[in-house]
Amino acid sequence: MAEPILSRNFNIPDAWKISVAESRGAYETAKKVISSMKPEDVTNAVLAANLRGLGGAGFPTGKKWQFIPKETTKPVYLVVNADEGEPGTCKDRYILERDPHQMIEGIILGAFAIGSHKSYVYIRGEYVEPYRNLQSAVDEAYAKGYLGKKIFGTNFDLDLVVHRGAGAYICGEETALLESLEGKRGLPRLKPPFPAIVGLFGCPTIINNVETLACVPHILKNGAEWFAKLGSPGNGGTHLFSLSGHVKKPGVYELPMGTPLREIIYQHGGGILGDKKLKAVIPGGISAKILTANEIDVKMDYDGLKAAGTMLGSAGIMVMDETTCMVKMLLVACKFFAHESCGQCSPCREGTGWAYKIVQRIYEGVGSVRDLDTLLKIAGGMEGRTICVFADAAAWPIQSYIGKFREEFERYIKNYRNQQNLKETVPDGLYQIHPRNQDRYGFGEYS
Amino acid sequence: MSLESLKSEAEKIVAKYDQKRAAVLPLLHLAQDKIGAVTPEVEAWVAQWTEVPVVHVKEVVTFYSMYHTKPLGKHHIRFCTTTSCCLRGSENLLSHLKNKLGVEKGQTTKDGKFSVEEVECLCACELAPMMQVGDKYYGNLDEKKIDQILDGLK
Repeated sequence: MAEPILSRNFNIPDAWKISVAESRGAYETAKKVISSMKPEDVTNAVLAANLRGLGGAGFPTGKKWQFIPKETTKPVYLVVNADEGEPGTCKDRYILERDPHQMIEGIILGAFAIGSHKSYVYIRGEYVEPYRNLQSAVDEAYAKGYLGKKIFGTNFDLDLVVHRGAGAYICGEETALLESLEGKRGLPRLKPPFPAIVGLFGCPTIINNVETLACVPHILKNGAEWFAKLGSPGNGGTHLFSLSGHVKKPGVYELPMGTPLREIIYQHGGGILGDKKLKAVIPGGISAKILTANEIDVKMDYDGLKAAGTMLGSAGIMVMDETTCMVKMLLVACKFFAHESCGQCSPCREGTGWAYKIVQRIYEGVGSVRDLDTLLKIAGGMEGRTICVFADAAAWPIQSYIGKFREEFERYIKNYRNQQNLKETVPDGLYQIHPRNQDRYGFGEYS
Repeated sequence: MSLESLKSEAEKIVAKYDQKRAAVLPLLHLAQDKIGAVTPEVEAWVAQWTEVPVVHVKEVVTFYSMYHTKPLGKHHIRFCTTTSCCLRGSENLLSHLKNKLGVEKGQTTKDGKFSVEEVECLCACELAPMMQVGDKYYGNLDEKKIDQILDGLK
């Protein structure tokens, strides 16, 4: 890739300040577009650019915008999902903290396209420093007349409110986010009706991810065709890939959609830490099904990973070397989902809790091979049986870790700890419940 | 700090939203920051501003992990143990942290300086293993670095 697009200001000092951002061209496109283009032309450009929702679902953004009813008398809202929470993902934080004006410009253009005059950015509660930069950027944009009444001297009004979450992964699910924004617990809503018809405060609402909106100014500046060509067929543009785990150079890398996974790990990430052998990769955040070392010759876009039986998700790549214990990694994944289930639907509330307890007993050396089939049965009972896809996401690690590493799980159960694990001291931290102190179903701290 | 003195800030927050109820989360953040915890008085105060029953506010407080009903240490430590941090050795580092401070997770040191919470992914996986102390993220941790960070805090 010739030049960075989304990440071009990440290493510019103080790019979150409007003076610096404007010297780098911020808001020029929005000014031009709002005074000279029609809203539907903006939507058409985004549609032609093949921009797909970069929060994880990959739904075509322009198409989503077209779902807003044309003749609605209610206010229309544009809500920005900045509740980044998918383990393995850290890309939106860079935009929010280092280049928020890029996103604000995208919000202005998106709101113009869908006819919205009020936008909310829902940012995760733990992102305190990104929040401060974003709020300061919003205040500066208001002061310049880029937000508020008659922005850029046109007849278009747009208010923007930054709303902080308070620590709940589920609020990244768009309807849970709306509930949370309305001041309630983040319990996902039953769909339909979809948010574009009945969303925030019962009004038509579009929810877009931070990075998705950050792409919009570039599309309108350089043209839809240019953007579409950057990526792979049907997957326009570049994407911020978060790379972590056992690699030499973890970080956020902006690369064209469809970049091979092998290239990301070995070229951009510098290869495996300590030059060990690769064991497995999670390509799209903790919810995505795991790939073994033999399966990494895939293109990193929505279609490429779907064909490989997993998903691009939020493009959070987590690399595991040969010493990684898969039982432990499944334990960590199950702990996450058990902790974060909102508790609304029984299959998920019960399923995530029991899966965690069962994997914990395997990890502690009192599991049986039959437990593996119980886990798969639980996963099957969760998948597709709940209001939102959280339960599916919780089922996929169980299915893919056990499915692809069953032999290791069985060996672990039979030998209690496998060869690599014998070398490890088990710290008296996280999983300290000793089997003899527990009756078979009373496993410890998660209750 | 009394809730009375937060009146003008609360007014501003409520005015930003299209419905008063939407201000529940930001008002809780505000009061928790200033008072130190979400006390029953805070819940009643938020309920009054947002015109919802107190039980609704209580529901919200117990749902989200960042609200706490008891005061935390002066420096609250959120220690991540999810996948990327675990791969990079967060378990041993959490043990080190707890030994150093002499507390278990969920506890506050006797002098009230530090409290420790084990959290799920804070989305700074490129910095793994990482933790948040107060508002700030610290990454690429090892035992020495944790010591330096904690010793450097007043």
